[in-house]
Amino acid sequence: MDALAKRHEPEQVGAIFIYTHEAHPGENYPHHTSFEQKLRHAHDMKAKLGLQRPILVDSLAGDCHRAYGSMPNMSWIIDRLGRPVYKADWTDAEDVAGAVSQLLNLAERRRVEHKPMVPYVSNRLAYRFQDRDGFLAGLERSGPRAVTEYLAYKERQKQAGGGGIAPIRGAAGRSRKP
Amino acid sequence: MTADSVYNYTNFVEAQFEPWLNFEASPPLGRPAPDFPLTTLAGETVALSDIWRANRYTIIEFGSIT
Repeated sequence: MDALAKRHEPEQVGAIFIYTHEAHPGENYPHHTSFEQKLRHAHDMKAKLGLQRPILVDSLAGDCHRAYGSMPNMSWIIDRLGRPVYKADWTDAEDVAGAVSQLLNLAERRRVEHKPMVPYVSNRLAYRFQDRDGFLAGLERSGPRAVTEYLAYKERQKQAGGGGIAPIRGAAGRSRKP
Repeated sequence: MTADSVYNYTNFVEAQFEPWLNFEASPPLGRPAPDFPLTTLAGETVALSDIWRANRYTIIEFGSIT
């Protein structure tokens, strides 16, 4: 996402990261009990993950995060007039890149076609590669409890019949790995 | 129990995190988005709207270190 932000910066595309609650609280990064603690965790994220985009910290009660749907790693694109023009309940850099390219191409399409354009909403089911190893490494950063609770959750999902939308699997019957 | 403490759940268990997952009711596309004050890492307050007004488009990713 940082690379995408850097690539489109000359085209007046801004990018920010909004710090939310801890999705997987653990011994190292427990749930927030003060705004100062939340700010410290945000500083740690910048230092440990090397995030280049500006990080903005939401209120302790998560007013902004909650108003936008509270998903742990969602992405939005908002235009200059304050209108959301893209939203996804999970962040996938490739998908966001496609949306940005399409948005930036609107002016050129209008110029070439000499026709007015009107907005419409398009919903679709998107797929992303699952980086299980990277995800588990992130949980380990939070602490052993975060790993244990996540694996227990996945086991409960499995026992309950999977839950959610089935992933696309590779020819060998395994989930695709990045 | 306060709104702060419920939002900042202590454990990753369904009873604590699922009530917050509410993407279906999130702001619709094409309509004015809600604006909120946010805090920079330097401790300054900025309005989300100040950021989107300064750019042609603004990409916003939500998340945390965990």
